[in-house]
Amino acid sequence: MRMRLILAAVLLAPALPAAGQSQPGEGVSYADILAGFDHPEQWLSYSGDYTGQRHSPLTQITPENVDRLAPVWTFQTGTLSRGRGFETSAITYDGVLYVTGSNNYAWAIDARTGRAFWEYQRDLPNDLTYGRAAPVNRGFGILGNRLFMVTLDAHLLAFDRRTGDVLWDTVLADYKIGYAATGAPLVIDGKVIVGISGGDFPTRGFLDAYDPATGERIWRFWTVPDPGAPGSETWSNPDVLSRGGGGTWMTGTYDPELDLIYWGTGNPNPDYYDEDRAGDNLYTNSLIALEADTGRLRWYYQFTPHDTHDWDANHVPVLADVDYRGEPRRVVMLANRNSFFYVLDRVTGELLLGKPFTATTWAREIGPDGRPIVLNEDGSNGCLPDQWGGTNFYPPSFDPELEIFFVNFRETCATYVPQAPVIEPGVLSVGGVVWVDRDQEWGGLRALDIETGKPRWEFRYPSATMAGVMSTAAGLVFAGDNEGNFAAYDSRTGENLWHYQTGFRIWGTAATTYMLDGRQYVLVPSGAVLIAFALIE
Amino acid sequence: MVRYALTGVFVWLAVSLPLTATAQSANPFEADPAAIQAGRQMFAARCTACHGADAKGANGPDLTEIWQANDDDGRVFAIVRNGVEGSAMPPSQAPDNELWAMIAYLRSISTVPPFVTDGDPARGREIFVENCQRCHRVDGQGGALGPDLSRIAQVRSRDALVESIRDPGASVAEGYRPVRLLTRSGERIVGAVKAEDAFSIQILDTNQRLQGYRKTDLAAIDRDEDSLMPKFGRVKLGERELEDLLAYLGTLRADRADIGGNRR
Repeated sequence: MRMRLILAAVLLAPALPAAGQSQPGEGVSYADILAGFDHPEQWLSYSGDYTGQRHSPLTQITPENVDRLAPVWTFQTGTLSRGRGFETSAITYDGVLYVTGSNNYAWAIDARTGRAFWEYQRDLPNDLTYGRAAPVNRGFGILGNRLFMVTLDAHLLAFDRRTGDVLWDTVLADYKIGYAATGAPLVIDGKVIVGISGGDFPTRGFLDAYDPATGERIWRFWTVPDPGAPGSETWSNPDVLSRGGGGTWMTGTYDPELDLIYWGTGNPNPDYYDEDRAGDNLYTNSLIALEADTGRLRWYYQFTPHDTHDWDANHVPVLADVDYRGEPRRVVMLANRNSFFYVLDRVTGELLLGKPFTATTWAREIGPDGRPIVLNEDGSNGCLPDQWGGTNFYPPSFDPELEIFFVNFRETCATYVPQAPVIEPGVLSVGGVVWVDRDQEWGGLRALDIETGKPRWEFRYPSATMAGVMSTAAGLVFAGDNEGNFAAYDSRTGENLWHYQTGFRIWGTAATTYMLDGRQYVLVPSGAVLIAFALIE
Repeated sequence: MVRYALTGVFVWLAVSLPLTATAQSANPFEADPAAIQAGRQMFAARCTACHGADAKGANGPDLTEIWQANDDDGRVFAIVRNGVEGSAMPPSQAPDNELWAMIAYLRSISTVPPFVTDGDPARGREIFVENCQRCHRVDGQGGALGPDLSRIAQVRSRDALVESIRDPGASVAEGYRPVRLLTRSGERIVGAVKAEDAFSIQILDTNQRLQGYRKTDLAAIDRDEDSLMPKFGRVKLGERELEDLLAYLGTLRADRADIGGNRR
């Protein structure tokens, strides 16, 4: 009897967490998020760690065995974003996936089997604005036992991860005038950082920090300045400042040592029509580095001054510590919608590299003053990238060992025709139309050398893609395409090693990976399903 | 060939309002020039992101083909009003008059008036059966390698038809673009590309067999040819015979409203 009791106790004892990790019952600590990929059974933020590299150290799946990768389960969400994608990155913690879907659905899913523990659906109003055009969501943030999700009616919600119950509900902005929220919150120590959508409407962008416990706002940074504030002189008409765009709808990254948040900003409004906004239109289409404690601007770099193409800079700013041209540098890298690949010193904002990574006639080069030498603003003198850009918000990845930046690119040919829009709250104000030559559209995956910006290799797709990339230390790059393929490539050569037809374009998302029960899983959303792959046993 | 699509404005219609259909099927604005002009502007603002500036399709289907295929205005109205479940096409809450005006515009660019020819349609039908029917269908008779011509006179002008006959490579619709495949086992296959991705290609071959191929099984994929259709120059098809053929094609304005569904 005594023996049996002891045996039972041993069987019931939970697996001990590794040193420095919190107990599952306590939920996720800031130290857990900070540790990033040190705990390979977890994926605790949009990109998996604060660098945004989306590069996992997992090596069970290799170039040699990846041809044995097969679906283990699929999860059917039953909800689709009309004309868009299933754009989430799943949070993975203690054997559970926390997943957000289209139309503000969300789930907790058993990572072993694909079975849902709970489902949440927000009751959304009928008069959504931007949220009606793009009813997407890109993922949860997590801290403790709380999940954080933004909504199409521009709220920030906190959930209990165990039940799916809403703990608090904070209004970010008035959705009726054009705002919505779609990005995955970035959780740092004691703060939930949240961006906003709506720059295609007459709205004014901001980045916010909230208290994870209460939902109270700690700070707000307006991406279009107040009248008289620094940067306001780059807008010819002060009336436009209150509706100048500059959305912050894609999750940024964080350097805990510098305590700086890096975040991309979107287009000035109206997108294509510029008669009432002469000037550079700061801080639109920029990378901003904000002090995490205060939300104060440390530095900025504007990729596309005075944009008239909807070339948002809402990308994942990828952080890395590298020897750059023989000198140790803390860099931030970004492949921009304007078709240039940039490397900046992330301490100072100094531009180290700006080179085109797709065909473009927009600008000859980036001049010594860090500004593009623009040749062709509207596409009347040769092709320009279309309004979806040379790449888009979907994640790239970076292999720090190879020092290669992997990006799914889009080769397109467009001309822009501005037209004065009606400026009215809640009314779309893109201000023009774009002609796209569909016969000159294609895409692919490129491996960029970060010192030259030149591709070391490329793999071509028949059409321009909106799918993202993840890489692993085993020497694999996983990327989706517009035809619905999810594929693995050799990081060094670009050779395609494996592919799986998911049945729907992979759009606005990239794979994640985690270890569970000694097995490496690779997860990708496609259409209305989430698919988990592992090696056939 | 350059195919432009106008984008940059969102499909701007409600997605979550109660759905209503209409029993009305006749378009009150049919062929009304003012309504067609207004409908053109509304189409440009609301529909082009998916359907293209010329309505010939971008992310969404070619709308100029829907009358060719099967639709009457009432059915198109119901689709625009209700959306298409399970697709990116949302329902609309716009007033009825706006929808009818847009539909009048679409119809105006989708159909053409009857054309004049002094050819003999009976002789033209013989020419068609002899030269064209292997690849083109009329009223269910004929091949599938080329487009169905049952309603071709509704949607193509005389000039467009002459160009398609004399110089078929000048404009080849997606779904009919030619390809020559060489398999690794040495087999040569010619067909029309129906779909393609980075790893595979799906074709209808000249034996009219639907077949998919893995690119790893192919030694070559050659797309040099303009069209699978041969050129019918003046030697092959004299001016008199061309007029006869046009006279026959001009009769092909069949109403096939009994057949439902949209093929993409």
